[in-house]
Amino acid sequence: MRWGGQIVATLLGAAVLAAAFPSSAAVSDADVKAAFLPRFARYVTWPPLAAPSGSNPFVLCVVGDDPFAGGVDSAARTQSVDGRRIVVRHLDSVAGAGDCHIAYVAGNHGQSVGQMLAALRGKPVLTVTDSRNGGSRGIIHFTVVDGRVRFYIDEAEASLDKIAISSRLLALAIGVKQR
Amino acid sequence: MRRTLGIGACVFYFAFGSSARAEQGVDAQDLANLTIEQLARIQVRSASKTEEPLSSAPTALYVITNKDIVDSGVTSLPEALRLAPNLQVQRIDAAQYAISARGFNGLEAGNKVLAQIDGRTIYTPLASSVFWNLHSPLLEDIEQIEVISGPGGTLYGPNAVNGVINITTKDAEDTIGGLARVTAGALERTAGLRYGFPIGRSGAMRVYADWHDTQGFPAAPGRPEVDDDYRGWQGGFRSDFGNEGDHFTVQGDLFRTDADVLAGDNARGGNILARWNRALSSSSAVQVQAYYDDFRREFTDVVDSVKTVDGQGQVNIATGRHQIVAGGGIRTTRDLFVNNLNIFELVPDSRRLWVYNVFAQDRFSVAPTLDVVAGVKLEKSTFVGWQFLPNLRIAWQPNQRNLVWAAVSRAVRTPSRIDRQLEAPGFLDPAPDFTSEKLVALEAGYRGQPSRSTSLSISAFLNFYDDIRTTEFATDGTPPFQLKNGWKGRTYGIEAWATMQVTPIWRLWLGGSTLWKDFHLKAGHIDLIPFNSLGSDPKWQVRARSEFDLAPRLQLNLQARAVGKIDQAPELGSYVELGGKLAYRLTRQLELYLYGSNLLHHLHQESNNGAAQLPERSILLGTRVTF
Repeated sequence: MRWGGQIVATLLGAAVLAAAFPSSAAVSDADVKAAFLPRFARYVTWPPLAAPSGSNPFVLCVVGDDPFAGGVDSAARTQSVDGRRIVVRHLDSVAGAGDCHIAYVAGNHGQSVGQMLAALRGKPVLTVTDSRNGGSRGIIHFTVVDGRVRFYIDEAEASLDKIAISSRLLALAIGVKQR
Repeated sequence: MRRTLGIGACVFYFAFGSSARAEQGVDAQDLANLTIEQLARIQVRSASKTEEPLSSAPTALYVITNKDIVDSGVTSLPEALRLAPNLQVQRIDAAQYAISARGFNGLEAGNKVLAQIDGRTIYTPLASSVFWNLHSPLLEDIEQIEVISGPGGTLYGPNAVNGVINITTKDAEDTIGGLARVTAGALERTAGLRYGFPIGRSGAMRVYADWHDTQGFPAAPGRPEVDDDYRGWQGGFRSDFGNEGDHFTVQGDLFRTDADVLAGDNARGGNILARWNRALSSSSAVQVQAYYDDFRREFTDVVDSVKTVDGQGQVNIATGRHQIVAGGGIRTTRDLFVNNLNIFELVPDSRRLWVYNVFAQDRFSVAPTLDVVAGVKLEKSTFVGWQFLPNLRIAWQPNQRNLVWAAVSRAVRTPSRIDRQLEAPGFLDPAPDFTSEKLVALEAGYRGQPSRSTSLSISAFLNFYDDIRTTEFATDGTPPFQLKNGWKGRTYGIEAWATMQVTPIWRLWLGGSTLWKDFHLKAGHIDLIPFNSLGSDPKWQVRARSEFDLAPRLQLNLQARAVGKIDQAPELGSYVELGGKLAYRLTRQLELYLYGSNLLHHLHQESNNGAAQLPERSILLGTRVTF
């Protein structure tokens, strides 16, 4: 075990080095994803019956286990689209999520992401999933590439749900499954 | 060596670190003012395992992620498996590995683990062990490796007695674009290439090739030198079509490996697999899969060939408080074993074997925080009748951050061809009565996130084995010998691991396992080669891994392991070894790195196998580019 002490010394040395030169990245991927979610409303067009009418707000739902710790609520307060506010709802199950404009589908103990997505298919809901929660994909699927939060877009699925996605958002996707 | 690495790190930092620091970060409150394009460019803290959702699987589960593999710098699949603290990895020589969980490790004894790649079983029906060096999927395209120590329960296929190693590669949608990697060092050279592209509106495909050339290791003093050089390639494709509700996958691989123990030694083969997942409704789904695998190995004048056809299907249904999975599978193998080296042979030399299984499992929510999982699998093989393999698990999840579980399960290893039909005239009789090796396992564990930056898993097991293989005299006291089921006994131990995000730029993994074995021969039995049956296992092992972001573009990874003494004769002392990778990201597309393995000693020994060679210190330079 003569080397044991030397390994510890190496680790400590590296820790000191690490502490002396802190990384510049201060935000977590969850912070950035929370910031993305309300912004999607600006680049998506819902079918007339599903779009908010009158002065009603856009409804952004977090369905299942919420990884954002209030991050989506504060991000939504800073955004509005054509004068409409964006309200956030936290839902335990997919029941009732059919009225959401945007649904971040996280899954939970009782229902997987895939099962939640299946229940929302065909409804005019912009489903958003996260590679952190497994391989199940909604219309928008977050992933972290090269230390940046990016996403895939399933335009084919969106068109089945009668949702149109602007070219500005499509241009940001790392992959688009086309109609 | 440590000093050399340290100096290397400093030089790297001062040469490249300052320019990298020009990338400015932002605070969370600044995000509100950014455009959507700016958001997509923000550098985020590296994701740590601790922030991922807690798996609710009530088993001792460790997941090696793609990032773990790539960041660690390892150059082969078996070396990547060292990242799992619940696996024991012994490198026997440059080419051969023995890998097991909870004991029974060794080239012969390591026959109680189910290993699969994308649903295709890779253990050989000849001896139920895995030729690890003959599987080289492109490491960069592995999505994750799930390692379960303990019986796999209902949902995994045959042979999941002591553990399951479940390797999955990425969906082709996630590998669009090109990737090239080259590594070169005195002892080992590798190269990998992949190109992925979309197909039509809803599909994608990738093709890849991987090449490796590994120098042999020297022999232990007074031990025979084995010419354990090997080199080879593997190439293949994977294509995925459709969406979440209707997904179709077709994939295949070809490989060839050449070795030098005797001239002409080689292994080659290929496989093709198709899998279809379809959601039937919002609460039910079906999956069917089939594959064909062709494998041929010529090694030391032995020809060993296996052709496998496998088909399986399963249905998942969620209804009320029940999540039900049910299914079945059939596998058939046609083998050929011709031994020109010595007198051992399989009789008949070619045989078709069948394995059938059906299974059903219900995960039932007794209360909002309490699930009971009850499952049963029935399995039948050519050599033995229907085996009843039940398991019962309890998962208590008081909140999202904590899971307490317990399980009792029964598992068997059904006889392999070698167990039943290996013979040598006048020396070894075949063993038509050799029966399944049996296990009843009791397990309990905790998995959770005691704090936002720490994740922890602890599990304890108590395994009761019966009918473990012995090598005995066929009748009394004189050759010929015969394989029988003479050992009975138990093993117990603890496995624990933790991940800590110590600072935003420093992540630390710690893990370890202990193993006690207590076996006795049943009345009227002896074992002339206990080494081959009970394995040669260290009593303990400890792993530590550290990942530092020295600068935004510079990362240092260190992986240390300490492995306890092997008591099984011939005894082998404990050892400590260290590996590491220092990586500099020149641009988003281009990475340069220095990787070293076995840094502490010029030579060390991991296996007490009589033909074991000594792994050497190895240092190599690598570069990886995406386009």
